[in-house]
Amino acid sequence: MIDTNAIVLLFTATIALASPLLFAALGELISERAGILNINLEAMMLGGAFCGVWAASATTSLFAGFVGAGLAGVIIAAVHGVLCIVLRAEQVVSGVALNVLFNQTAATYIAFLLVPLVWWGINRTVAGLALQATGEQPAAAISMGINVRLSRWIALLTCGALAGIGGGQLTLAGLGTFTPNVTAGRGFIALAAVVFGRWTPSGAMVAILLFTLIESLQVRAQILGIKLPYQVLVMAPYLATIIALALFMKRMKAPRGLGINV
Amino acid sequence: MTLAPTSLRSLALVLAFAVAGLMTLLEASAFLAAAGIDPLEAFHNMYVAALGSKFAIGTSLAKTVPRLLCALGIALAIRGGLWNIGAEGQIYLGAAGAAGAAMFTPDITGIHGPVVGLIAGFLVGALWGAIPGALRAYRGINEVITSLLLVYVAIQIVNYLVEGPWLVPNSTFPATAVLPPGDRLSRIWPGTLLNSGFLIALAMTLVAHVLLYKTEFGLWIRSIGGNERASHVMGLPVGFMLVAVMALSGGFAGLAGAIEVLGTRGRLVEGFSPGYGFEAIAIALLGRLHPFGIACAALIFGALDAGSGGLQVSSAGMSSAISPIVEGLAVINLLASLRLIEISLKHYDARKALVDRQRSDRPPTLKEA
Repeated sequence: MIDTNAIVLLFTATIALASPLLFAALGELISERAGILNINLEAMMLGGAFCGVWAASATTSLFAGFVGAGLAGVIIAAVHGVLCIVLRAEQVVSGVALNVLFNQTAATYIAFLLVPLVWWGINRTVAGLALQATGEQPAAAISMGINVRLSRWIALLTCGALAGIGGGQLTLAGLGTFTPNVTAGRGFIALAAVVFGRWTPSGAMVAILLFTLIESLQVRAQILGIKLPYQVLVMAPYLATIIALALFMKRMKAPRGLGINV
Repeated sequence: MTLAPTSLRSLALVLAFAVAGLMTLLEASAFLAAAGIDPLEAFHNMYVAALGSKFAIGTSLAKTVPRLLCALGIALAIRGGLWNIGAEGQIYLGAAGAAGAAMFTPDITGIHGPVVGLIAGFLVGALWGAIPGALRAYRGINEVITSLLLVYVAIQIVNYLVEGPWLVPNSTFPATAVLPPGDRLSRIWPGTLLNSGFLIALAMTLVAHVLLYKTEFGLWIRSIGGNERASHVMGLPVGFMLVAVMALSGGFAGLAGAIEVLGTRGRLVEGFSPGYGFEAIAIALLGRLHPFGIACAALIFGALDAGSGGLQVSSAGMSSAISPIVEGLAVINLLASLRLIEISLKHYDARKALVDRQRSDRPPTLKEA
């Protein structure tokens, strides 16, 4: 007999775990479509996780907490932007350096609502098409009169805000406190989800739901008494992401201007 | 390439490092002050703990070893156009390989003991590094993501080993039994903690240099890093090379893990690396991907780590945070100042070209105009 209650709980956990990742992945997707790679997504989430708690406890307002979290991400994005867009430094290097430095809530619904919104924004608006041109063929975009640098700045700061909010959600909605390394590589999982989802919002969402399904299975498996060392369960989502990438990724269709400074 | 004379170029480079160093010092002071610590007192405490005595210098050198080896490996990969972000996992599995070899191979006394462990550490690290290399070479998957995800897998494998089958009975923390002295690296400087792993790290610095600049293999690595497509057209076995370079990179990190087990700790301990593999990325970049430059950068950060131990007395919690903060700041500052210098050299070029043209009194070429 299938325990429907257990399945409902499983999917509730899957969705709850997914939304911080979804925020970060959608932000990264926008930024990568404009040609800016953020290896420092993890730092943005961590910054958001920390400043979110700090702002919320200082103001005793959950909303202020999320605003603080978003701002923290924006600040990290701004440093990355000065290095990559203004000084045209190697994007991976800057990202790495920045990394070395640093129940369902309304936010969950917002994360999922953002999926169609981001898709619409990228594919159906003038600004979105300019963004894609910026990411695919920066030189061509310039000759078409698109302000490539401005476009990249907007995309990057949006990414910072979303990743910060995602990190803030981890601490504000989940744990309530900040502990060192609370993000535990989720920024990188979100990065992988963008690749795995082939730079589309719905693809990224499916990738994240797969990851968090395995993650919530892990929590349930421990309760259900499945006889596996817990370390195997902890590594399962990461391992599954790698295997999924290895099996189902054909040639990646990354934006052709990704990582290339103009 | 710039038209500026070599002397001006090297002056500019020195200037970039000086400015970056000064900025880092100022920013770190501001950070310490903001945390309510007197920066001058903190720097003095750090100096005493890093360079103030024979024991302190030995500690600084010992803390250089894992950073240097990992950074060398990462630099080799970057030279080949690959980002090995997973050195942290390769350290852990290299350490497990060394501990396993030491525990389960027939007991050979004398020098052969640690040698078996070192080779096992290198090989296991290389195997783990080869996975993202192969995925990149044959499936086109970005090695940044896979090498990083494998870190979490590697750490859990080691956690499983030291909490499960390899756990020494009656231990208060997850670790294997202390290895027999015959399997361990010996101390080389009486009165300090420095072991022969330091000599191995120095030797590997030379090996990396020779490999990169004096061998055909190194030429291939640099060629592929410079232009993968062109190298393929020239007939280099690009796919094989990508796997080989990542394996080599992982091997260096694995060796670092082996030295931690066979030398520094004498056993495999859960969570023994505080992020050497991640720090090493910054060190490789600060050393400008050159083995000797990396050795200098690793020494600085080894000393910084030893020095941050001196902060512990005055402020608990601060000590573990200061070293990565300074590193992150140093890389960002250097990155920015190097780019600024490059940009100003370009301006120099433009101006020089203009002056030369005016002197020669000929009409400008299309490119100059």
